[in-house]
Amino acid sequence: MPEDHDWEAYKVPPTRTPVSERTTSVPNPVNYFQTAFSYVFDTPVTFVRELIERLQTKDKFYYYHQKFRRVPDLSECLEGDYLCYYEAEAQWRRDRMVDQQIVEIVQERLAACKQREGPNQFQNCAKEMELLAQVTKAFQDRYGDLGYHGNARTCLMKQKHRMMEERKAAEEKQ
Amino acid sequence: MAAMSLVLRAAAAWAARRAGGAGTTGTTGITRITGITGIGPRLPGTLVPVRHSGDHGKRMFIIKATSFYDSRFLSLLRFYIFLTGIPVAVLLTYINVFVGEAELAEIPEGYVPEHWEYYKHPITRWIARYILDPPEKNYEKDMALLHVEAQKCELRMLELEARRLMRHRGDGPWYHYETPDKNLVDNSVKSTPDN
Repeated sequence: MPEDHDWEAYKVPPTRTPVSERTTSVPNPVNYFQTAFSYVFDTPVTFVRELIERLQTKDKFYYYHQKFRRVPDLSECLEGDYLCYYEAEAQWRRDRMVDQQIVEIVQERLAACKQREGPNQFQNCAKEMELLAQVTKAFQDRYGDLGYHGNARTCLMKQKHRMMEERKAAEEKQ
Repeated sequence: MAAMSLVLRAAAAWAARRAGGAGTTGTTGITRITGITGIGPRLPGTLVPVRHSGDHGKRMFIIKATSFYDSRFLSLLRFYIFLTGIPVAVLLTYINVFVGEAELAEIPEGYVPEHWEYYKHPITRWIARYILDPPEKNYEKDMALLHVEAQKCELRMLELEARRLMRHRGDGPWYHYETPDKNLVDNSVKSTPDN
């Protein structure tokens, strides 16, 4: 069954290949391959898929993406409040999953851009490369070396250390 | 009579020559017409064209190892696999072709979806709806367990603190030890200084 790809996310820009003037009378063999492909693979598959879609029940049902409420963070929990710890931990894990998916999506966009541009990828994909660099740096700063047993508490401690070092660096600069 | 016997003897000689000719030609007996069905006497050692063959050749008794156990095993294997395999395959085909998967949609305003409406495939939705517990229930169960354990932990800490303080201060109901009555003490040992 097809995945829920959002094809509008990476809008392919219009191609800038110039219209070629035919100088030979030899037909382009690529056209034969394309027609062969469409007859052998495309048409039967589309036919079967449309057949199945016609047979499916007309009353459709839907599925949604779950939206979770925000709960107090680990830094806002009182000490010894284990329920608050549990909820904060669950929220932190969900956020980490979301961040992982964000990084993956940005990587996919860069790969799509490289595939599209081909030889001029280093000029035309500079924005995507910059975005990927920023996103991976941020992810590494936040979730980087926590290891397999990283949880919300270790992440908070890492943030605390980061802030202490930033303060120390700011003090040394003065 | 003599003429009749002469004819009979000629016929017998002719039949014998025919059978003898078949015997001498040996392997080419098949090429002869397969029509000799018991006419005339047979010479010993004569070859006969192949019978009951229908042009398949001579019927042979081919000696090979038994395949009874192998074929029985494979037949039973197929039977037991298809016994549940075919109904499951039919059910899955029906569900995937006629019921189909859900479509992704935005959550409508003011509508709280049920916990099974977050899945795509109809079988997953069915399992989430009728077999598994909703994740909210799981969450609450975990929180309840944590709460009970946290209360137990707190009570144990308080008890330890109370014991420590009562032992130290001695003004609580705990840590009372029975001492013998002072009237039972015999002071005669130390009553005079010269003992």
